[in-house]
Amino acid sequence: MEFLEFIPQQEKDIDLERIHRLRKTMQNRRASICSERARLITESFRRTEGEDYILRKAEAFAYILEHMTIYIQKDSLIFGNQASCNFAAPIFPEYSIDWVINELDEFDQRSGDIFQISAQVKQELREIAVYWHGNTHEDEVMKNTTTYILQAEKQGILHRGGISMSGDGHIVPDYALILQKGLRWFLNEAKMKLSDKSLTKENKSFYKAVIISLEGALHFIKRYSALAYKLAEIETDITRKQELLVIGKMCEALMEQPVQNFYEGCETCYLVHILQMIESNGHSFCYGRFDQYMYNLYERDIQKGTITKEKALEIITHLFLMNSSNNKVRPYGHTKFSQGYPLYSNLMISGYKPDCSDGTNELSYLCIEAMNLTKMAEPNFSMRYNKNTPRSLVRLAAKLIRTGCGMPSMFNDEVIIKSLENLGIPSKDARDYCAIGCVEIGIPGKYGHRSTGMTYVNWGKLLEIMLYNGVDPDSGIQMLQINGKQGSSINYNNYDEVWKAWEKVLRFYSDIAVDCDRICDNSLAFYDSDPFASCFVDNCMKLGKTLKNGGAKYDVISQSNIGPIIVGNALAVIKKLIFDDKKITWNQLLSAIKENWTGKEAMHIHKLVKQVPKFGNDEDYVDNIVKDVFNSYLKLLPDYKTNRYGKGPEISCYTMSTSNITSYVPNGFAVGATPDGRTARSPLNEGCSPTQGTDKNGPTAVINSVAKLPNEKIAAGQLLNMRFSPGTLAGNENLDKFIDFLEASVLKGIFHNQFNVVGTKTLLDAKKYPENYTDLIVRVAGYCAQFVSLMPETQDAIIARTENNW
Amino acid sequence: MEEKGIISTIQRYSIKDGPGIRSTVFMSGCNLRCKWCSNPELLDMSPKYMYFENRCVRCGSCVDTAVNNSISLSSNGCIIDREMCTNLDECMEICPKEAFEKIGMEITADDLVKKLLRDKVFYSQSGGGTTFSGGEPALQARFVIEAAQKLRQYGINTALDTAGAVKWDILSDIINHMDVVLYDIKTYKTKNHIAFTGIDNGIILENAQRIAKLKKDMIVRLIIVPGFNDSWEDLISRVNFVKTLGSSVKRIDFIQYHTLGVGKYKRLGMKYQITKIKKLDTKLIEKVMKIAADTGIKVTLQ
Repeated sequence: MEFLEFIPQQEKDIDLERIHRLRKTMQNRRASICSERARLITESFRRTEGEDYILRKAEAFAYILEHMTIYIQKDSLIFGNQASCNFAAPIFPEYSIDWVINELDEFDQRSGDIFQISAQVKQELREIAVYWHGNTHEDEVMKNTTTYILQAEKQGILHRGGISMSGDGHIVPDYALILQKGLRWFLNEAKMKLSDKSLTKENKSFYKAVIISLEGALHFIKRYSALAYKLAEIETDITRKQELLVIGKMCEALMEQPVQNFYEGCETCYLVHILQMIESNGHSFCYGRFDQYMYNLYERDIQKGTITKEKALEIITHLFLMNSSNNKVRPYGHTKFSQGYPLYSNLMISGYKPDCSDGTNELSYLCIEAMNLTKMAEPNFSMRYNKNTPRSLVRLAAKLIRTGCGMPSMFNDEVIIKSLENLGIPSKDARDYCAIGCVEIGIPGKYGHRSTGMTYVNWGKLLEIMLYNGVDPDSGIQMLQINGKQGSSINYNNYDEVWKAWEKVLRFYSDIAVDCDRICDNSLAFYDSDPFASCFVDNCMKLGKTLKNGGAKYDVISQSNIGPIIVGNALAVIKKLIFDDKKITWNQLLSAIKENWTGKEAMHIHKLVKQVPKFGNDEDYVDNIVKDVFNSYLKLLPDYKTNRYGKGPEISCYTMSTSNITSYVPNGFAVGATPDGRTARSPLNEGCSPTQGTDKNGPTAVINSVAKLPNEKIAAGQLLNMRFSPGTLAGNENLDKFIDFLEASVLKGIFHNQFNVVGTKTLLDAKKYPENYTDLIVRVAGYCAQFVSLMPETQDAIIARTENNW
Repeated sequence: MEEKGIISTIQRYSIKDGPGIRSTVFMSGCNLRCKWCSNPELLDMSPKYMYFENRCVRCGSCVDTAVNNSISLSSNGCIIDREMCTNLDECMEICPKEAFEKIGMEITADDLVKKLLRDKVFYSQSGGGTTFSGGEPALQARFVIEAAQKLRQYGINTALDTAGAVKWDILSDIINHMDVVLYDIKTYKTKNHIAFTGIDNGIILENAQRIAKLKKDMIVRLIIVPGFNDSWEDLISRVNFVKTLGSSVKRIDFIQYHTLGVGKYKRLGMKYQITKIKKLDTKLIEKVMKIAADTGIKVTLQ
């Protein structure tokens, strides 16, 4: 039962007991706050005052790497650590510090995503905070934030979250090139570039910073060599001793040269991964197409007989498990939007190669087996598939999905490649896409920072203020008047007027959100100077620029729009009940909403509202309105430009995404009852998934509804989350039908689909007895999390998803 | 002629009613009265009203609306005199919640086919199609035939889920338009069959043999209800009978009794007839399944 299908031939080459121990360690780990990085960067910054910021960052990076605590995780073949102990979150004071100090005493009191923190760490953070206060990325953003943005935030419409106070992350380095060349090669390239006389000051500083950062990284790797040898001396277990000696030897020259074998390749990926997460506190540093760039090394080792399939599986599993040792702490206000300690370290398998042949290989299968052995929320494991994907791989994926761990999430090449080509990205690159984070899409080694999740826009709230002529009923703030008059009263005479009002509200706030993106991006261009991460992405080395300054080949970004289905369902109710059938009046609907559907009259209206078709049931009436809602936003995009437009990227534009992490829950808190029948303060819909519990015609109807949306234009990710009861996937026959369902979804033109296979009973029990369910991993929204680490409200929202069960 | 039929629901992504992913059409009306019936709302063709006590807010709206004082309110919700209450439609309308649900709607074969075609990609990908179930779909033969004909024109696989207690000329007509027949054999001895289902099973067994002679693909379904038809003798005689049907039978499904339909009885104001149920002797079932499978036929337990 250990494996899904794999039958080990060389059993001694894969130590399952050890994997169990390592997994247990990760399941029972406790999050904590580590002040070491904060202290070290402060020390370094104090010494480099007056220098170029990017050089100061690079020097600090090297300084941290030289002085931070390092350890080699017991039981693991893969090593490298981001902070001083397992699952500790480092602090990045250069991005923001005030909230850290304000929340010092609350980290261990949270209702979800709890962090332990010692008195000493608190003391240390208080001491260094003085140095940073007023001089961080967050301060810069706040200085430039307009009243408009602040008001829209007060209304609960905009949420800046991550990008206003932390690094951006969302990077997939060109791992193929790193493995092929080694870090020293990049360093030498930078040196060579530096000899060019025509460089600008920006270019010079960039190349210098790359050199400093890579020297720091290479030195960091050698520290593990010394540590491994030291540990080997005292190790009593002969096998482990041998392993430590191998590590010691490996680290003497790792990355000074091209990668020598599969094990080194995996180790290199992990080290580059954590190094990025020491340089910046962005998240979603991703592995990209792991099975594609690792295959040559694997094949070579297998042919030479220096590795067995079993050993490779063991190494991959350790690599996967080690991802659970890293962590990130966010302000509580933002944590609500992204619960479950997510890092969104996406790792992707299979899919077309750039030449359009199918890229499935032996590693694709091994990775699924490794994820089955891992069963943790990280890495965020996803799979590409298309018309030519071998059914055997889809079957193995379906078997993993069936275990209930929520992975892999399935990405449809046929739609996604087209969506990228629609942006103007050449087919060869488009075919090489991967997920970056949750369902965000990008081209590995060619995209710069997040393709989605810039400013979050609460469409549920937009809908609500539309009912009141632009007035937010909670804060009373009115930023626009739909009918040109102050005050909340408005009369709509026909559906067309309602639709125009929606377009007006959407445009008004999307414009503000784009301003908001710009302000954050402007500041990040300075504070998120990331020479280490940048040098592995085209065309930073060529142009001598960081990603945020226009170094990336493709610069495609999007906001996160939350609640499009709520909006479409609500408009359908208004259209049908008030204007088509004339069953109720505008005022009747409004007063029922104000009463949150309670009281006899309001209840009756609620009943009528519920009987209007809802998205997710394959009803054209409402599905077409939801489609209109998507198009109303797509229409705006050509007018929006990023800060980097014309400054380097070959393609620079805005696109759309429905990747919304857990924000649909807190965004719902901010919104009263809505015309779709939703009660006040309950969650909005998630991604493009039907509103919880309103899809009543089964999974094929959901697919049919979603297939009607303009999926080929949602190039930054269209999130669909479905839930199946374990029974519907039990046995070979049901599994086969589920595979057919997946394959039909490809033909239908679904962008992406992810699954929870857990019964309601289990979830309810897990909510009640968290201690028994530390191993329960659920799909949240584009990523997975330990169910027990989530806030109760989010747990409820997951329980409320329609369970397809028959 | 445009035939109309009476159905309750179309269940999509049906994975237990024949090959592949299917849409099952539940049709109203049945000529059997099985004591364990889990679809009591489909027993006859008249519309049925389910009352959901948990959705009722005890507001009394329906009490005022119902004619002949036929609804009264108690702390457990509405007490409905179903014989006296002739205006449940109005009561349903006035109810501020969705405490009443009407089951049964008229639909033309054309409209039905249009709805079913929506999942065509899923059918073709999986070798699935449409299953007519119920109730007893053969009681609405003309409608089923028209719908099936149209479906087949689109290349969609058709299946009939029947208890087989219908005159052969009617049943054979329908079967001509089906790719698969799901055939229930509920018990073997005539005396028992009359006692459990209300009718003689002579015609059922005869029809089964006739279908087999046509070489039509059959999936035979053997329900097992503890205390009724779970004895060794009953099971083995059913299995032996199925074996005589020969190669037509592609699969035997043993279907375990379940209580998922019990709630419906309460909502319909009906009495569920089985009060106590024994536990199933799984060892016995396994043994029977083994014997059933020994001719190489596929056997499942559901």
